[in-house]
Amino acid sequence: MRRWVAHGGVALPLAVAACAYGVFVLPHASDYALRVLTVAGVYALLALGYGFIFGQAGALSLAQGTFMGVGAYVSGILAVRYGVAFDAALPVSVGLPVLLALLVAIPVLRLQTHYFALATLLIGQVVLLVATQWESVTGGANGIGGVPPLSLLGHPIEGRLPQLLLVWALVAAGAVLAWRIVSGRLGDAFALTRLHPVAARAIGIDTGSLRLAAFLLSAGFAGLAGSLYVHAIGVLSPDVLGFPVMITCLTIAVVGSRLRVAGAIAGAVVIIELPEWARFLRDDYLLAFGCILLLVVVALPGGLVETAERLLGWVGSRAVPSVMAGRVPAIFAPADEARMAGTRPAMTEGVGPFIAARAGDADLLTLVGVSRRFGGVLALDDVALTVRSGAVLGLIGPNGSGKTTLLNVVTGIFPADAGRVRLGGRDIAGRAPHAIARLGVARTFQTAALAAELSALDNVAVARGAARLGVGSALRAGRRDRAVVRGEAMALLERMGAGAYAAEAAGTLPPGIARLVEIARALATEPRLLLLDEPAAGLNETEQADLGRRLRGIAEDGVGLLVIEHNMPFLVPLADRMVCLDQGRVIAEGTPAAVQSDPRVIEAYLGTPPP
Amino acid sequence: MTLLSIEALEVRYGAVPALRGVSVTVGAGEAVALLGANGAGKSTLMKAVIGLVRPAAGRILFDGRPLEGLRADRRARMGVGYCPEGRRVFAGMTVRENLLVACWGGGRQRAQRIDAMFAMFPALAARQGVLAWQLSGGQQQMLAIGRSLMDAPRLLLLDEPSLGLSPLLTDEVLGRIPAIVAGGTAVLLAEQNAAKALGVCSRGVVLKLGQVAAEGRAADLAASDEVRAAFLGG
Amino acid sequence: MAIAQLLVEVLALGAAYALVALGFVLILNATGAVNFAQGDLVMAGGFGAVLLADRLHVSGLVLLPALLAGMAVLGVVVALAAYMPLRRRPPEAVFISTIAVGIILQNVANRLFGAEPVATPPLFGAGRVRFAGVDASVQSVAIIGVAALLIAALYTLFTHTQFGRRLRATAYDRDMAMAIGIPVDRMIAGTFAVAAALAGAAGLLLSNTFFVTPSSGSDYMIKAYIAVVIGGWGSIRGAVAGALLIAAFEVLYPSLPLLVPALLWMPSSDAVFSQTTSTIVLDVAVLLILVVRPQGLFGEAARQRP
Repeated sequence: MRRWVAHGGVALPLAVAACAYGVFVLPHASDYALRVLTVAGVYALLALGYGFIFGQAGALSLAQGTFMGVGAYVSGILAVRYGVAFDAALPVSVGLPVLLALLVAIPVLRLQTHYFALATLLIGQVVLLVATQWESVTGGANGIGGVPPLSLLGHPIEGRLPQLLLVWALVAAGAVLAWRIVSGRLGDAFALTRLHPVAARAIGIDTGSLRLAAFLLSAGFAGLAGSLYVHAIGVLSPDVLGFPVMITCLTIAVVGSRLRVAGAIAGAVVIIELPEWARFLRDDYLLAFGCILLLVVVALPGGLVETAERLLGWVGSRAVPSVMAGRVPAIFAPADEARMAGTRPAMTEGVGPFIAARAGDADLLTLVGVSRRFGGVLALDDVALTVRSGAVLGLIGPNGSGKTTLLNVVTGIFPADAGRVRLGGRDIAGRAPHAIARLGVARTFQTAALAAELSALDNVAVARGAARLGVGSALRAGRRDRAVVRGEAMALLERMGAGAYAAEAAGTLPPGIARLVEIARALATEPRLLLLDEPAAGLNETEQADLGRRLRGIAEDGVGLLVIEHNMPFLVPLADRMVCLDQGRVIAEGTPAAVQSDPRVIEAYLGTPPP
Repeated sequence: MTLLSIEALEVRYGAVPALRGVSVTVGAGEAVALLGANGAGKSTLMKAVIGLVRPAAGRILFDGRPLEGLRADRRARMGVGYCPEGRRVFAGMTVRENLLVACWGGGRQRAQRIDAMFAMFPALAARQGVLAWQLSGGQQQMLAIGRSLMDAPRLLLLDEPSLGLSPLLTDEVLGRIPAIVAGGTAVLLAEQNAAKALGVCSRGVVLKLGQVAAEGRAADLAASDEVRAAFLGG
Repeated sequence: MAIAQLLVEVLALGAAYALVALGFVLILNATGAVNFAQGDLVMAGGFGAVLLADRLHVSGLVLLPALLAGMAVLGVVVALAAYMPLRRRPPEAVFISTIAVGIILQNVANRLFGAEPVATPPLFGAGRVRFAGVDASVQSVAIIGVAALLIAALYTLFTHTQFGRRLRATAYDRDMAMAIGIPVDRMIAGTFAVAAALAGAAGLLLSNTFFVTPSSGSDYMIKAYIAVVIGGWGSIRGAVAGALLIAAFEVLYPSLPLLVPALLWMPSSDAVFSQTTSTIVLDVAVLLILVVRPQGLFGEAARQRP
């Protein structure tokens, strides 16, 4: 039972309450009350869809109301002018908003927050104006009356109650679909994209495509909502395209909880029913509405559902918040997970189950003449170096000498101004970070780029899932798939010696351990080349020696390693060769011993006192 | 006389300790070098003194007064100057405006101070109408130092001024420190470049993993194996 | 001479829009957040002017100082209610909280003044003036004068006073501003005060010709937003230029058939040059600008900001 409760968050008690309400209250409710509740269902669907783009993808779209309006117009016009029934028109009334979303997404979706918000706002304004101007088709400002009621398989659904039940059945179906999407690998990918986009791209998540998927899904839900709305209300009016609809949707998402499936539904019921409950306020209910919105934003940052979860203490009983609510949280002990997955994690040190041994000592990464300029500063100046499969290259140099810039150029975070970057004979210069990651390049960051809110295990599992993210796997939700992924992630944590920390929130890990988790995450993508930025910083001598052994083991599996480090006692025994950068130039290269005793290297590090 | 006294300071980022019981003092009119590798906690210490991070435990006394509970702007007005890592000049304001904005005196005092800054950094005087982002790295560093001196602080926190500068420019920037100290401002200088820092300071403190690993007179530290080990691994 | 007359109209409308856009961009720079209630502050300024005129029976110009002061207070209230509690949260939080402030302002206005459009008093009086052969309304000329004066005052404030420099330093780097002794929260409240005062002035200037209703703010909000985007995000000069451009488009586009009579012979030229079509064309043009030049028409501003 406890597991059920925890899975659903507040969804289960809400569902029970809704059923009780349905059985005991609805049969005696007035026509008007039923109508209001039907509209609440429509808005629940709209907000469920909005949860994808505004919640999951974290993009402030102001076109959600517009997509609903387009769905309403398409369905209404088809019904009144061409006699097409609600259900027969659905492919078009859902498809057209999605198509519109696709069209505007191509130019607009890559824009930053406030630009995106304005662009979606303007699209809404244009659509509204076109709808009011194009009188011959849309009925102009007066709209079109006499829209027939909802229908199913050719049978019109008369009566308020059956209509309400149909709408809410679709809400339930939509909620299940949304829940499956956000609780699967796609949900993981969304969470990491939202929490740490740089890390998401670094493990191969195509954040742009993910945003597009969210935008299209939101438009689809909105189209369905619009179509239901116009048939339930019986009148098509330009109001449905107006900005107040968008504001209502946004308010529902914020008040309900933008990241919760249950939040969309609870928010819709509260916001749509509010004017009914607050009748004593008469005309001032809109004023109350504004005050409530302001209060919720200020005082309840997560919205009603998240606040309820906190109050009820269910979240508190979980050691670590899960990636998303309304999804399988991290309530199992890690060992449980592995058992469920039917895999025995390979605990043997040095032998990872996921990295195929690649023999040979071939040149894996080759840089030739790479330069990168920032403003007037030459951060990388004609750099050449080679990393071989199965070998460790140490990269040293004083602060600001260009080491991290070099890593950023190799991983595609910014392009080189000149020179070639080749991975296994393929030119990778100028490719997007996620594309380079998918070619087998994994990295860690100077300050570990983990999603602080997620457990160590979740951080690795996200990468494990994302490594094989496809359309099919995205929807293959549920515990089994997640359990397999988590079993593998656990094995990787064990391999890095961080298994004991699996359940801890990444944000609370000591920096040394966080870095081990980050390396485990990098390994989860099955890399050929592993780039580490100061992996030993923050570790004591014993831990450093331990990490050195583990990294050696990874190299012996055939992975090429490029390790940035200031710490010579750690790096010298680990590295096969070393390169020293100073002011963007390679000033020394060779065996660790040779580089360490090079006078130019000593000068660059210790300097000479000013005259 | 002790101007700044840091006692058993602890700072955490989340649960992650960045400083673990660090005690450092700076006397009036003294220059102290704060040495250590990346992530040793130098910048965190500086930010804790000016008030941009909140300590988890320990005390910071400035001129005998505890700084606890005071926001950064109050501390600055008490006479703590802060020149951050990465310079952080106000990009769209001119050189002159960057300096003026940091002075709390009247018009006459502003004019005097700005003349003093231009005398100390002649390169800035020639470019006083230029927007700060258009300056070279070295000039931006000088501007940042000048800005932190505009309100005549009694203590200057100087965080990694050599970052991204060539050795020649580093020498030029660090070379101003004796003059700053001579002007009555004590300096706490965080530097990676140990030899250069110790060359302009009278004392040094070495941080390692958020703790004090060594401290002493500059000349002693410069010769010590410990410092060498902290940077080059022996 | 028709062109000169249109230019006066463009300048008058553009100068008023510029006040709104300036308020918008000031808050944007100081807080990194969009103030979605900026248009509703224009509306509040319009009703405020109506209220003052009812009591005092004086011309708009005399009302202006009192209106500016009252709006500045309202700006501080908005800062305290909708920004201060959210300053450590992502910018969308302020976006939404200012939407809420907008809803509240609209409904308070609706409660107090009703939904009927009302006009603010003219700055000097009605009538028209002629100079250099150009015939223009007194109100348009007065708008240009008042707005230019306010913009000049703002410019002086920002570049020639310590207060203005401190406001700008806060906008560039909040923590660093604090570290040189600037009380940033007070500066941000001051920014809201200035922004609201500018919006209020715009409300007085615009609502004489265009009237004010509780819902008239959203249009100004969108125009300010557009002006700031095409002018370059965060650029003050760009915001003024963007506002003038929007005004030029709004005035000139429907007048095209007057300027080029040949256009009248186009099929359905009435619809093509209607107000509505003009808005559509403007929106689409802005969308294109966003796609082709996300940094704005005049913008290197983004690069100047660290």
